[in-house]
Order: sequence, then C-alpha cells, then structure tokens
Amino acid sequence: MNIIEITDLSFSYREDVDALHNVNLTIKKGEWISVLGHNGSGKSTLAKLIIGLLKADSGDIFVDGILLTEETVHEIRRKIGIVFQNPDNQFVGVTVEDDIAFGMENLNFDRLDMIKKIDEFSKKVNMNEYLKKEPHELSGGQKQRVAIAGILAMDTDIIIFDEATAMLDPKGRESIMEYIRELNKEGKTIITITHDMKEAVNSDRIIILKDGEVLAIGETNTILNDKETLNASNLELLLPLKLLYKLDEANIKNEKVKDILWQLSLNK
Amino acid sequence: MAIKFEQVSFQYPSFDGKNFSALENINLEISDKGEFITLIGETGSGKSTLVQHMNALLRPNTGSVTIYGIKIEKNTNKNKKIKLNPLRQKVGLVFQFPEYQLFEETVLKDIIFGPKNFGVKEDEAIKRAKEVIKHVGLTEDYLGRSPFNLSGGEQKRVSIAGILAMEPDILVLDEPTSGLDPKGRDALLELFTNIHKKLNKTIIIITHDMNTVYKYASRVVVMHDAKLVYDGLPNMLFMDENIEKWNLDLPDIIGITKQLEAKLDITFTKKPHNVNELFELMKGVL
Ligand SMILES: Nc1ncnc2c1ncn2[C@@H]1O[C@H](COP(=O)(O)OP(=O)(O)OP(=O)(O)O)[C@@H](O)[C@H]1O
Ligand SMILES: Nc1ncnc2c1ncn2[C@@H]1O[C@H](COP(=O)(O)OP(=O)(O)OP(=O)(O)O)[C@@H](O)[C@H]1O
Ligand SMILES: [Mg+2]
Ligand SMILES: [Mg+2]
Repeated sequence: MNIIEITDLSFSYREDVDALHNVNLTIKKGEWISVLGHNGSGKSTLAKLIIGLLKADSGDIFVDGILLTEETVHEIRRKIGIVFQNPDNQFVGVTVEDDIAFGMENLNFDRLDMIKKIDEFSKKVNMNEYLKKEPHELSGGQKQRVAIAGILAMDTDIIIFDEATAMLDPKGRESIMEYIRELNKEGKTIITITHDMKEAVNSDRIIILKDGEVLAIGETNTILNDKETLNASNLELLLPLKLLYKLDEANIKNEKVKDILWQLSLNK
Repeated sequence: MAIKFEQVSFQYPSFDGKNFSALENINLEISDKGEFITLIGETGSGKSTLVQHMNALLRPNTGSVTIYGIKIEKNTNKNKKIKLNPLRQKVGLVFQFPEYQLFEETVLKDIIFGPKNFGVKEDEAIKRAKEVIKHVGLTEDYLGRSPFNLSGGEQKRVSIAGILAMEPDILVLDEPTSGLDPKGRDALLELFTNIHKKLNKTIIIITHDMNTVYKYASRVVVMHDAKLVYDGLPNMLFMDENIEKWNLDLPDIIGITKQLEAKLDITFTKKPHNVNELFELMKGVL
C-alpha cells in the first residue's frame, strides 16, 4: 500500500522560479527512502509540503489515502513526525524537557505516558542529564539529539529526518542510524534527507533532486552506482565503488574482489 | 605566536549555581603563518567554546588567552579599555549556525557588514562581495536576496562568504562543511587550502568528518570532555587506540584498506593515502 502519493507537485517561493517542478513520488508503507541532491535542490521544500507547512501551487499529496487540504492538514500531521534541518526551528519550550514533550502534547499524549517517554527517549539520545537545561545552553550536536528525541517520542507512522545527524560525531551518528534501522524494521516509513552517501546506503530507494526536479529515482543499489547521475547533482561515489569503477576501467575482472567491494560499500 | 592559550578553564554560568565546566586547563599555541588545523571531538566536548575564545567572544574564567599580543583574562575589558575590533578582523570566526551571523535584509549587506565595520570603503567591500559569493559556489544573483529565504546549505555558504570578505589572517570555521553537498564541501576545502598555501594564512576548521582531517589538515587537535587530549599529526592520531573512546572514526581510506586486507587476507606493502594509491596496490596483488 502507498502511504504517500505525490502527483505533479509544483511550488515556488518567488515568481518565475520553481523550487519544485512537477514532482511525482510514491512511497510504500514501511519503506525507507533517501532524498539526495545539491544545496538548494528542493529537499527541505518537499518535506515542508508533505507535512503541509507550505501549500503547493499545483499537484496533489495523499498521505495514508487522505488528500492534503486545509481541512485535513491536522489529521495528516498526526501521522508524520519531522526533525527539521535546523533544530532551533523546533524549539519552543523553556527547557529541554518541554521541547521533547512538545510534539507529544500536540498529539494529546497522556501525562504519565509523556513523562515515561521523556525519560526513555532522552536516554536513547544520551541527553537525560540535560533535561532541565535551556536549549540555547546546548552544543550543536546536543540540540540535534534533543530534536530527534522529541520526534521519536511521538511514535508516528512516518518520520522525516531532514539532515538530522549532520552535526553529530561519528559514533553518535551511527547510533542514531542504528535506531532508525530498528524503527524501519518495526514497520515505520522513513524519509531521510542527507548529503551523506553512507547514510543513504541504508534506504530501500533513493530519489535525487536537481534544481527542483526529480533527476533520478530507483533502488538504492542502482543509484549508488550511477556515477553520472550522482555527479550531476553534486554527489559522490562511495570509496569502494570508486575502486570498482577503476577496476572496470582497467578491465580487471576479479569477481571475488568486486563482490567484496560491493559488500564494503553497503557497510557489510 | 598569534594565539596562545595558557591554562585556560571556562565555565558557563548557571542560575542554579551549578556552573558547567566546558574547558579545563587548555594549553594551545597557534601561529598565523600557514597552519591548517582541524579541531575534532565528540558532541559537547567543548570545540565551539574553545574557538570562541580565539577572538575574545568568550573570556576564560582562569588562565589567559593572548591574541596578537593582547592578553585576555577573566576581568579584561570590563571597562572596555581594550579595542577588540582589530582582533576580530585578524581572527575571523564563522559560527556553527549560520543564522547567528546573518541579520541584514540582503545577502550583499550581510557580506559587506564585516569589512565596512573594519574600515573598508563601501565600493571596495561590494567588490569583495561579488568575488567571494562566487568562491562559495553561489552566483551574484544571490546578493539581492534575503539571507533568511535560502536553503540551509546556501545560508552556510553566505555566512562563510562574509568572513572571507573580511580577509582575516586566521580563519576559524565552526563546522563549515556540515550541510554542504559533497561537491560544495570539496570545493570549499580546496578554497581554504588555496588561502592557506598561497596567502600563507592559518585555517582552523571544526569538523566531524575524518576524511577532511586526513586529507587536508597539517595538525589535528582533539577535545574530549572539556579537555584537550591530542595535538599532533593526523596520521599519528588514526593509529591511536583512543579514537574509539573519543567517539572518533577512521577516515574512509584507512578503514576500507583495513577491511580489504582482512577480507582478502593480505597486507599491502604501503599505506595508501588516497583511492588512486589504494587502486595501484590492489592491482599489484590481483
Ligand atoms: N523561504 C524561502 N524563500 C524564498 N526562497 C527559498 C526559501 N527557502 C528556500 N528557498 C529557495 O528554494 C530552493 C530550494 O530550497 P530548499 O531549502 O528546499 O533546498 P534543499 O535541497 O533543502 O537545500 P540544502 O541542502 O541546502 O538544505 C533554493 O533555491 C532556495 O534558495
Ligand atoms: N550557553 C551555554 N550555557 C551553558 N552551557 C553551555 C552553553 N553552551 C554550551 N554549553 C555546554 O558546554 C559544553 C560544550 O559545548 P560546545 O558547544 O563547546 O560543544 P562542541 O564540542 O562544540 O559540540 P558540538 O560538536 O555538538 O557542536 C556542552 O556540554 C554544552 O552543553
Ligand atoms: Mg534543506
Ligand atoms: Mg559546536
């Protein structure tokens, strides 16, 4: 079943310039899709349209079978959690605790349940000792962790991560990725916007935007290996795949080594 | 030495009296003659706090930071006797969050703000703005736009352009490449390398990307838990068994080489520094 269906979606912030142009995309329930593309290609705009924070100029968005309109936007937002690119845009409360609670409050979580969840998810992102702090007293990576905890606690069917791990240290990033993998296995639909090919490897499919249009969409394995397409939207090949290309160019046929390089590129 | 930290400790004040210790006994010397330093370490380890001491945005609680001969201590400048402006022109700092730095109506006004503030004439500042906007991978069209109506990566680029236009002797950049697309990241790192090599200026970059450390830095400083735990050469760092404990990682070229050696059950005769060298080594054994 398709949990998200987007048809002929266009949007512009300014006259004559489309930030998104005729985008079509369907996402199956339980799927994990990565959105890649150069700075300014329209990734965050797409995310904001899906949650109804921006209103499309033309085209339709269906979430879980419901057409996104002014009447349905609140219902749809209950199904989608989004970690914004800039964590500061997400903080409204006085303390870290308030900010983790905020999304749950909007979903009318029961008070006791909320307290439990604040504890559980602040621990999950390693921020349980900072609950009484104010968000402006946090480091960049700490802000991102808090933003992630608040969204995870909402337990929505769909979660969008807009470069949510960009400021985390390597180990912190890996532990969040590990958790997203778990969530996805449990059946949640995941959309990760990223510039990091090592993150994209985790998803089932990849969509690449370029100047507001869909440049490519396909299975992760296919797109990861598509040098020309990646190049066209300022992306790069993973190191093992660069080696694979070189082997091919030099006409070296060693299936065992090729297979190992593939495994390494997929992080295995 | 252009910048010298001597036994610097710093605590963030807190209303409940439990001050938070963010720097503990830091000793560090930085020259303004062509260093390329990367500053790394886990989330919350004190990196941003440390660099804000380099142009006197923060003052140490104990110890001192001497910047171009001006000694900054706890009570320095309570009565504004020392002019900090010249220091801030010499040591240009790009913040981790670009919006802390962007406040004007247009990108152009934002970029020329710094140079004008330091006495550069308006037409010269505008000339510089037109140059630097291209250096950060944007076009002149962006100069007329509002800095708030840009994508995350575009904002980051504009905030970097603002510091480039000031032409400081030491450029301090707090995570300049997070949020940039890979091609943009490489282009900027090449730009910094050029500034470093051709103009013999010092670059200090905070990053979580170990590839950047390995490929570009001549020196790497590691923070862990408010302390400076490593100051030395990048390739030595990645042989240090503490990197796990410090929440760091291996650069791709080292990690992949190790994994290839393990899977193929071989040992390459050399340590490759880049993908071409690794490929040559592989050809030798295939
Ligand atoms: N509030 C706004 N007003 C006007 N134009 C905007 C606004 N926000 C974004 N844009 C423009 O729309 C385009 C798409 O922006 P968007 O934020 O979706 O890009 P992105 O793919 O998320 O980029 P990044 O990787 O830098 O985050 C860009 O050209 C940008 O300049
Ligand atoms: N304004 C503040 N008030 C109180 N504590 C603060 C403040 N700013 C930072 N801290 C604390 O000081 C410590 C160091 O923060 P800093 O921002 O220097 O870390 P960082 O190494 O830059 O981390 P990151 O990689 O996440 O950006 C953190 O534990 C943080 O919570
Ligand atoms: Mg974005
Ligand atoms: Mg920081």
